[in-house]
Amino acid sequence: MAATGLLLGLILALGCFSEICVAIISFSSLQTTLVVTVSHPRRLLRAGEDKITVRWGLNQSLPAGTDSAYKTIKVQLCYAPISQVDRAWRKTEEHFSKDKTCQFKIVKMPYTTGNQTLEWTIERDVPTATYFVRTYALDANDHEVAYGQNTDAKKTTNLFEIQAISGRHVSLDIASVCFSVFSIVSLMGFFFVEKRTGRKAQQ
Amino acid sequence: MSDIEGSPGSSMHGVTGREPTFALSVASPMVPTDTTAKFDLPVDSEHKAKVFKLFSFANPHMRTFHLSWISFFTCFVSTFAAAPLVPIIRDNLNLKKQDIGNAGVASVSGSIFSRLVMGAVCDLLGPRYGCAFLIMLSAPTVFCMSFVSDAGGYIAVRFMIGFSLATFVSCQYWMSTMFNSKIIGLVNGTAAGWGNMGGGATQLLMPLVYDIIRRLGSTPFTAWRIAFFIPGCLHIIMGILVLTLGQDLPDGNLSSLQKKGDVAKDKFGKVLWYAVTNYRTWIFVLLYGYSMGVELSTDNVIAEYFYDRFNLKLHTAGIIAATFGMANLVARPFGGYASDKAAQLFGMRGRLWVLWSLQTLGGVFCIWLGRANSLPIAVLAMILFSIGAQAACGATFGIIPFISRRSLGIISGLTGAGGNFGSGLTQLIFFSTSRFSTASGLSWMGAMIVACTLPVTLVHFPQWGSMFFPPSKDVVKSTEEHYYSSEWNEDEKKKGMHSASLKFAENSRSERGKRVASAPTPPNTTPSHV
Repeated sequence: MAATGLLLGLILALGCFSEICVAIISFSSLQTTLVVTVSHPRRLLRAGEDKITVRWGLNQSLPAGTDSAYKTIKVQLCYAPISQVDRAWRKTEEHFSKDKTCQFKIVKMPYTTGNQTLEWTIERDVPTATYFVRTYALDANDHEVAYGQNTDAKKTTNLFEIQAISGRHVSLDIASVCFSVFSIVSLMGFFFVEKRTGRKAQQ
Repeated sequence: MSDIEGSPGSSMHGVTGREPTFALSVASPMVPTDTTAKFDLPVDSEHKAKVFKLFSFANPHMRTFHLSWISFFTCFVSTFAAAPLVPIIRDNLNLKKQDIGNAGVASVSGSIFSRLVMGAVCDLLGPRYGCAFLIMLSAPTVFCMSFVSDAGGYIAVRFMIGFSLATFVSCQYWMSTMFNSKIIGLVNGTAAGWGNMGGGATQLLMPLVYDIIRRLGSTPFTAWRIAFFIPGCLHIIMGILVLTLGQDLPDGNLSSLQKKGDVAKDKFGKVLWYAVTNYRTWIFVLLYGYSMGVELSTDNVIAEYFYDRFNLKLHTAGIIAATFGMANLVARPFGGYASDKAAQLFGMRGRLWVLWSLQTLGGVFCIWLGRANSLPIAVLAMILFSIGAQAACGATFGIIPFISRRSLGIISGLTGAGGNFGSGLTQLIFFSTSRFSTASGLSWMGAMIVACTLPVTLVHFPQWGSMFFPPSKDVVKSTEEHYYSSEWNEDEKKKGMHSASLKFAENSRSERGKRVASAPTPPNTTPSHV
């Protein structure tokens, strides 16, 4: 992981020389220093109802002082590759400004050493898809410096599915039907009334 | 050239999109005013208005104009209402790019058929009921959006809402019963252009309504469904207004309209034959597919494009997308005006060059739009693209009336259908597949516009020439009379059925441009632009 990360970083650095690189942060320049686990009550979770528990913390096998620059933690809900197929608006890009993988913020809070746990109720605007959780560590300038995710580098393990709310309501359906019926009835009403007055006028 | 007063369009079922700036009224010696009639506007012997007074709501003529264009506008609003909300809808219904593209194709395909049926409906029930029936029967389809829960339902509902675009036909038909044929061109062009603006207005309206509903506490996946009640209610309101305030004829009498319909009409089969066998018809069907067609396609994709590419908020993307459609207010009439001006100087050749230039420029700016990486450049490219494409629509209908006199109605209808077909095709090829990003889809669409505009170089009139070639040297073939009377056979000519065509031929001599002076023009006859 570190080797490929380094290689990608190098290629990107070379690529950067042909572009104007002003504070462009790319994903591959980050180190994986955080360990994240997610637990959930069942495989298929319901938006607006179910909760997930996210645990994150610094990888204990790393030397002390690795997290000296970390000031803030940002935990995000991210799309798994299977939910990105044919959906370019969820595409993974190297540069953070263009990356659309993680579109939902679970929490953003100051960084503290040691393990943290959070219980999060899935919001009602989360669409139906397969997800994983990623945690970014930000420095004092709010730039990402490290990350961790609950799945592997290829994003194939520990994924979970969320079922969105339908957005439909019985009251909405009833209102729809009422308005539609009104439209048809008033049209027919006008038509027949005018026909009848027309016939009367002719008599 | 003599001062052309009251210049005119004699397209009865006119769909000319151009606007000769001087044809705001028809002067008395040209068309005698009926002084016994008590209307707000001066009228002719059929009580059709001779004057187009834009800011009046006088019954029945101007009131009809406003009811008519606003109905058409409303149908455009509802047909494209989903487009600016796609970023929300795609998450709610778990749509893929193919689904979104297919829905866009569906939204413009329905009206190809409904427009054909609408003509018959107007003949049977009159334009007022034609319009009211369509707009009120399509209101339930708009309300159906609240039931949609997957891609299939979404595509089906957008297909059904798209039927309502046939109000275009009732709009134009209704205008032709209310306005004199010499100003019908301007009237119909304005109505068509302003109706098309609905595609722009909806990009502004729907995100705004969605925002308000969200602020009132609704969750996104419900808020967009509630937002659809607005266009739905607009349908009902306009339908009721049309029924209560509108009337079929200036005198308010439907049955006499039906009686008139029985007067010696041309045979449909013959009219269709002359439309279909004229190669120019098909060139313009293709061309309109790449001016009006790309306008409709862009209405469907542009808001989502700006939202995704430049990370804008929904209502910001909507505002930008709206400027595309709203440019119709001036761009389409401008195209017609440019066509007229070019005709004054260079005749039909001028019209063809104006059309080719406007449409090709539109295509070039579309290529630029797809490649633009910064927001200001993209907006600039989009605005220039909109002006090019919409002006080309106006310029197209500056030429259509000259293709045929006998089959004008069908050729106009085929051209209009070509617009929708081109839109469906473009969305299918470039915006329904993950092979192209939307950005490259736009650029490819621009390239296709440039390529599909080239056939206009092939349009040749023996009496006026073409873009590159002069008119025919043959003494007989180079007259307007020969061209327009060749649509009638000997029997029909013996019966004198071609007299209107001959009159039109005489009046169309203005399409020679400055060379008109060489053809003898009887005094007091205004060369009429159709």
